[in-house]
Amino acid sequence: MKKPYNLNWIRNIEIQRRATDWASKKLLEEPQLKTIKAEFQAHFYRPNFFVKIGLFLFALIGSAFFMGFVFLFLTDSNITDRGFAMISLLFAGFFIFFLERQIKLSKLFHSGVDNALLYVSITLIFVPVFLLFNNLKIWQYALFLFIPLSIATIRYADILTAASSFLALFVTLGNFLMNFSGGTLILPFAVMLMAACIYFAVRNNTSIYYANCRKIIEILSLAVFYLGGNYLIVREGNALLTHQASSVSRQIPFAPVFYLFTIVIPFSYILMGVRKKDRILLNTGLLATAFSVVTFGHYFSPFTAAQNIFISGLALILFSAALIRYLHKPKHGISDEPEKRNVPDELKSILIAQTLGQDPETKGINFGGGNFGGGGAGEVY
Amino acid sequence: MNTQSILRELVSKEIISERQASMISEYETAKPLSVHWELRFMLYVGILLFNSGLGIIIYDNIDSIGHQAIIAGIALLTAACFYYAYRKSHPYSPDEVLNSSKLQEYVLLLGCVSFLALEGYLQFQYKLFGSRYGLAVLIPTVLFFACAYRFDHRGVLSMAVTGLASWLGLTIAPLSVVSGNNLTDLKILNSAIVLGTLLSVTGWLSEKLRIKKHFSYTYIFLGGNLAALAALSGLINQPYKVVYAILSFAFCLFFVLNARRMQSHLFLLLGVIYAYITVTYLIFFRISEDVYFSLMTVYLTVSSIGVIYFLLNFKKILGTAR
Repeated sequence: MKKPYNLNWIRNIEIQRRATDWASKKLLEEPQLKTIKAEFQAHFYRPNFFVKIGLFLFALIGSAFFMGFVFLFLTDSNITDRGFAMISLLFAGFFIFFLERQIKLSKLFHSGVDNALLYVSITLIFVPVFLLFNNLKIWQYALFLFIPLSIATIRYADILTAASSFLALFVTLGNFLMNFSGGTLILPFAVMLMAACIYFAVRNNTSIYYANCRKIIEILSLAVFYLGGNYLIVREGNALLTHQASSVSRQIPFAPVFYLFTIVIPFSYILMGVRKKDRILLNTGLLATAFSVVTFGHYFSPFTAAQNIFISGLALILFSAALIRYLHKPKHGISDEPEKRNVPDELKSILIAQTLGQDPETKGINFGGGNFGGGGAGEVY
Repeated sequence: MNTQSILRELVSKEIISERQASMISEYETAKPLSVHWELRFMLYVGILLFNSGLGIIIYDNIDSIGHQAIIAGIALLTAACFYYAYRKSHPYSPDEVLNSSKLQEYVLLLGCVSFLALEGYLQFQYKLFGSRYGLAVLIPTVLFFACAYRFDHRGVLSMAVTGLASWLGLTIAPLSVVSGNNLTDLKILNSAIVLGTLLSVTGWLSEKLRIKKHFSYTYIFLGGNLAALAALSGLINQPYKVVYAILSFAFCLFFVLNARRMQSHLFLLLGVIYAYITVTYLIFFRISEDVYFSLMTVYLTVSSIGVIYFLLNFKKILGTAR
């Protein structure tokens, strides 16, 4: 099937990116880089990240109120659900047509506007499902969502639709298994099995068109595989699903298996990541390790929560500082060389203002506790 | 598509030689995985956790553990951090100083954070500053400003700016400006506008006078954001709408001009969004309810398309190079 985005240009962007890297390492001469850039051109409109956010926001506002405007003429107060669903589908068709046209005309490539139009169209396709089918089970709805999301992913290679179709699939699986008596028992294993299958399936796809989708699905499937076997998730999830009344959740069957998963999976991610030089494996492994520490701290720590936070902070500082010193020359295939500035210094200082700054509430008695919890973690990652 | 296929294509187009291709492919297989950002991120999260944990521990155990030991411990840590930062620093220069030490930046940050903890502890336990809370905030603020300039550290600078704002009773952290300040209070609102303007001017001056030119971004972002949001809130909640409307437009213009000068797309986005809200509010705040909805839909549709057109073509309109 012909893709809406120009495949050659996407390839050329990748070639230019690599050539620039090689030139910065003095493996290519400056004129050679120029020739490559002239030979492999890409004419997409690819704005800066912040401009993209602006385009996305205003495209959402514009399309929402455009629908509101047209809606005023199309309907009166006694419209049926069926009529509503029809209008919704008509709008979806219109927006998809407009999206395809705009991609061609404005040379968009995940530039904010096309993302917004795509999400609006997909939402409009969902509306009839919820309007016309009232009594479906959750897994049936999830399956309904999965179909348009995965088709959109195949056509437009959008990372949000890729991630949502992934999640829809797991909701389908989870809710489906709940219908059986032994469902909760095999749920963790089923989730892990499916995550592993998806991981290896997407790794075999080498198309450059889906490079970013592949990355996001790899991250999600590694995360779900780990969380599916994580002791805290399984135990608390089990308590939630079986409606336990007591405030402390009950011990789960096969507990030692999950202890083992919680310990082994993060380390194997990190090890494989270092060995294969796979940043996704490494970073997921690091985050998983952090969550494993939280898991064991939650059930077995002799300290209070504050002491746990303090000790892990101290350990993180000492560990990373030691590693930075140790890696002043590359060792074991890893190095401490800054590759490119993916967090600009400007934004770093803003982040510090948000997370470590003082605010008037504390009146100079800064015990820090109040500032933390804004999820400083998510923002740089 | 992989490295090999790209190299083959480049060789067949005679852009690179066979020898170069094999050198590149050797480099690609041998190149180590860089964990630079992962390590910096862990270090930063470590400092964040250390800070919050320490704060809560002190607070929980205020009567039970040896005060002297705690004070000594934190004081020692603070002193050690500042000493290290000083030892590893280059002399002051009004230009950007690129530090050769890998850890200095973070050690200084840790020092500042633990200084705050130390001061907070002394105030809480011994009422060091009595009820002169202002002094308790001002001391770290002055220290942080000094450190930011001496050691060329934008993170410490933004901590100093938050301290200055909090001395005036304001929250300046970008995501907390609206929730952290009671902007319906006229006094708070106006001091936010004044502080924001002063900070923006400082940013503009540092660029103009070439004193730590690269600090200008932090000043303008924090100050401009505070002032613009305060002006918007004044426009919506206060009488004298004309004054606040003019102020609001002035800050938006300031953002867009700086976006052009500093090639910052974040400033462009902020300027456009705040200007859009101002214009929309001015058009709609007097309109009666019966035509409200239909007019709103038309206006928002058309104006969004207008903004999108602007954003798609802003390079031409603003004459920016990139």
